[in-house]
Amino acid sequence: MARKHRRSITPESQLPLAPATFQILLALVGGERHGYAIMKEVAARTDGEVRLGPGTLYGALKRLLESGLVEEGSERADPQLGDDRRRYYRLTKLGLRVARLEARRLDALVRAARQKKLIGTAPA
Amino acid sequence: MSAERIYRLLLRIYPADFRSEYGREMTLLFRDEYRARDTSAGAFWIGVVWDAVHSAMSMWLDLWLARGKEYTRTLEVIMKLAGTLAILLGVFGAVNAVAEAVAAMRGTLEGAHFLAVALGGTAAVLLIAAGAALLRRTPSARYTATIALVASLVMIVIARLTHPWMSSLSQLIGIGLPVALLVALHWPRGHDRSTSAA
Repeated sequence: MARKHRRSITPESQLPLAPATFQILLALVGGERHGYAIMKEVAARTDGEVRLGPGTLYGALKRLLESGLVEEGSERADPQLGDDRRRYYRLTKLGLRVARLEARRLDALVRAARQKKLIGTAPA
Repeated sequence: MSAERIYRLLLRIYPADFRSEYGREMTLLFRDEYRARDTSAGAFWIGVVWDAVHSAMSMWLDLWLARGKEYTRTLEVIMKLAGTLAILLGVFGAVNAVAEAVAAMRGTLEGAHFLAVALGGTAAVLLIAAGAALLRRTPSARYTATIALVASLVMIVIARLTHPWMSSLSQLIGIGLPVALLVALHWPRGHDRSTSAA
């Protein structure tokens, strides 16, 4: 597995994250997931609005692995999905920091939007 | 033909490395989706094809950018070696010019010969300056190297015209090296740190 170009990576240098990337990191905050579990969680969280296809999901995972935000866990079968062994992915410490920073960045944006009365004053 | 087989064919549009690394996982995910969703509607397949085309283009772009960076890194190493070579040959030329001038002064020194030796020595010093600039690889150093190389080339050509007995090796180094370095310095390349930093 390619895990290069990690030396100069700082959490701040990763921001802002692409929406799909942030969705994947959010899904992994809950623990190890395989690709289909990530896809299902993202679809459920966004009421089906964001559906990550296999290409988008694994393309994003490849980049996250290369930048050290995500790492591979064990490879095992998911009893609910059959006998096929699946790769599991999990957040690294760097990935968790980046996800936190991105959440704060988005939070600040939403607060600014509230101040400008673009959206309601109380969280929806 | 089964849906999974069609999807496996679709995977061929991805770069081979990506396909061999993630192709199996992508096929599994496709299979899970195919089982879970209503696939009778054309929208499912439109989504699948769109996802594949869109992400494959992105993967190819990443691959080409990585190759471009690799190419630029290789060029930078070559230019550093060329800079070191220019310094070494410049020092050799300068020492040679001083030795020749000292030797010539002991005997009767012809005017044209003295001029050729002085020009050769100046060209060697300019070659050292160009080599040092090539090692720095900043935008201003690139400009300095170009000026120094052109000036060195002009000096050697004038020296050759005033002193037709210049050795073939001196001509090869004095004319060939600056020309080769100028070509290498201005050869079109992809992302170049030295120019993009300007």
